[in-house]
Amino acid sequence: MSALGAAGRRSRRPFAELLVIEGKLALREPYGLFGGVAFPAVLLGVFGFISRMVPGNVGNTGLTVLDLYIPTIIVIAFISIAVSLPNTLVRDREIGWLRRVSTTPVHPWRLLAVQLVLDLVFAVLAIAIVLIGSVTIFGAHLEVGIPYFVLAILLSIAEIFSLGLLVAALAPSQTFASAAAGVLFFVLLFLSGLWVQPVQISGPLQAIMYYSPTGAASRALLDAVFNQAPPLGTILAMVGYTAVFTAAAIRFFRWE
Amino acid sequence: MRAGVVVAVEHLVKRYRDFTAVDDISFSIADGEIFGIIGPNGAGKTTTVECISGLRVPDSGSITVFGLSPQHDRDRIRELVGVQLQQSALPPRLEVGEAVELFASFYPNSLEPRDLLESLGIRQIERAKFKNLSGGQKQRLSIALALVGNPRLAILDELTTGLDPEARRETWALIERIRNRGVTVILVTHFMDEAERLCDRIALIDRGNLRALDTPEALAAQAGGHRVSFVPSSPVDDQTLLAVPGVSQIERKERYVTVTGAGDLAASLIEALGRIGVRLSDIEARRGSLDDAFVKLTSRAPADPVGSDQAR
Repeated sequence: MSALGAAGRRSRRPFAELLVIEGKLALREPYGLFGGVAFPAVLLGVFGFISRMVPGNVGNTGLTVLDLYIPTIIVIAFISIAVSLPNTLVRDREIGWLRRVSTTPVHPWRLLAVQLVLDLVFAVLAIAIVLIGSVTIFGAHLEVGIPYFVLAILLSIAEIFSLGLLVAALAPSQTFASAAAGVLFFVLLFLSGLWVQPVQISGPLQAIMYYSPTGAASRALLDAVFNQAPPLGTILAMVGYTAVFTAAAIRFFRWE
Repeated sequence: MRAGVVVAVEHLVKRYRDFTAVDDISFSIADGEIFGIIGPNGAGKTTTVECISGLRVPDSGSITVFGLSPQHDRDRIRELVGVQLQQSALPPRLEVGEAVELFASFYPNSLEPRDLLESLGIRQIERAKFKNLSGGQKQRLSIALALVGNPRLAILDELTTGLDPEARRETWALIERIRNRGVTVILVTHFMDEAERLCDRIALIDRGNLRALDTPEALAAQAGGHRVSFVPSSPVDDQTLLAVPGVSQIERKERYVTVTGAGDLAASLIEALGRIGVRLSDIEARRGSLDDAFVKLTSRAPADPVGSDQAR
């Protein structure tokens, strides 16, 4: 039992160690990676080719199909990453892993923070794939207005990720979390404009889409990639959603 | 903090809505002790140790661990206390070695993970994922995680539940090695043989109350006492036997006499009967078991705690 006597070792910092290990786990359970990289890449291919078949000017907007769908695909990547968040988090809570970590000097919020850092990395990957891919492969003529774009991206991520955290906070079990995330996934996908773009329709449905969490995100990003300021109402809606989702997630979150 | 006292629990009360899980329990644990907490399911054992480890906040009463409060000195206490939780799993695809490395990074004076795995006999499964481990391997990993921070107090809850007999014996040997390093151990169990074999003192908790607190031997004696059966070289009457110190009951079957009582019965009998020229043969002595004590003490009426805090 000599080993039990050897002490005084200091390994890596807990946060770095957590990041490495959670990173490995994320590669072994690649839901976030799939949503953040594979899904947007496939959608980009699909809408890129549709755009070649049906050139130019959708609904007198002066935009191509791909132009319209670039923001939607980015938002869909965020949605996919966000709905994978409750799966892991609720599982870790259900099996007692978060509780186990809370018996150590490291509070489990660090586990959550590491998870969010990884998800941000996936989100950045998705943005890069969509923007670079659409310009280089499909020749999209983007004029990204950097300040608008950064603002729209930050708000979109904050809003959609906090919604994912809210689902994790409210879900009593992993089964429930998967089911809820599944339903939410398709609702958010619809609102982001995957099946019908709000510019193609009018009336109440258009208004609902424009002021829904993912519709507002798509709209803000569409303006931003063509160097226009997103409407104030859109920005305010996103700030409001972020505040509400975050507050509720904090209020209802349980570590065990 | 009294010298040598690692854990002091005073008048601990913990309720869950209408249910009082722990109702006014007090005890203290000395440095280097293996302190057992036994009791039926739902007795309040786990709640008690969860309060000690700071996972739950008591409704009233006080707890100090190394003179610190589990609620207010959270971080400091967590560096000193290693916990093995009942029913706590790891992410299914986490590897054994990764888990221990990760936990090592959480503590300022952690042990060398590889050496620890080696000494627990799980070094060869370092690269195995948690979901593929057997029950025994999971338990060992759980112990490794409780010890890798080099704690001064280890809290082990239902340590050997679900292990096969061989793995249980190996785990027991491991606990003794841990104690030999000077680590104080709190062992929650519902296995009497485990408590009897490992613990220096045992707290018997039932329905939220402390029913008894003593050494395993004393608890066993309190319940059934000792039994000695023998064949006397010449007949001995009941009066003579009852006069022997400690003897309380006599049974006879053919040539055999069986007496029950307290204390070192066999020695007392040999000495007392020897004085009147009676020799004893075929002596068989059996100590009352902790099982007997358990059944006796937990079947009492609820509002009758036996023995108050006899903590050192």
